[in-house]
Amino acid sequence: MNLFRSEEHITRWLGDRTPGTTLTARQLSDLAHAWWGTRLAPDWRPRTLEQNQAILDGLGLTGQFWNLSGS
Amino acid sequence: MQLRNRTYGLFVELGRAPTIAETAAATGTTPAFVRTAWGRLHDAHALVLHPHGEIKMANPFSAAPTAYRVFASGRWWYANCAWDAFGVCAALHTDGRIETSCADCGEALTVEVHNAAPDDETLRFHCLVPAAHWWDDIVFT
Repeated sequence: MNLFRSEEHITRWLGDRTPGTTLTARQLSDLAHAWWGTRLAPDWRPRTLEQNQAILDGLGLTGQFWNLSGS
Repeated sequence: MQLRNRTYGLFVELGRAPTIAETAAATGTTPAFVRTAWGRLHDAHALVLHPHGEIKMANPFSAAPTAYRVFASGRWWYANCAWDAFGVCAALHTDGRIETSCADCGEALTVEVHNAAPDDETLRFHCLVPAAHWWDDIVFT
């Protein structure tokens, strides 16, 4: 889960490896804030897989790559 | 969840991972109790422990220096990855500055996060591992 100067740098870094998925810095920040924003809340409770999936879905991160259950 | 929440609270208060002994002292418990409770949290993916039982990751925070350094709430933190670097600002509910380098060329990258938005829209994030396999090897992920 790395940061890159641009998509060109990702392509070079990947080489022969199978690509994963790429987000813009804004998409990443939105994801991080949705995912970690309650981490220090006094009433924090572990999220279910379904709740985590709903966060991804809500950000438009859908498809097999973002499927937490792998099913 | 009280011990988990207190552990995270101590992490923020200290600016680093609390030890088993520190957490036991702060919670009026014993090191054996903390070790067992942290083990359960590790199994539930709520903490990541070293084999010797101390904290390795309290996501998004890293207990050890990493390539993702974040200045937020008046101090430096280490994050486990690019996602977690933004997550430090998110967890602390504050603006921040992320310092890292391009994983390809090594160029220094600095991102100011203001009101949850990065100031450099040209940067890209790449996640190699599909979501279903993140916890197969969370350190690699």
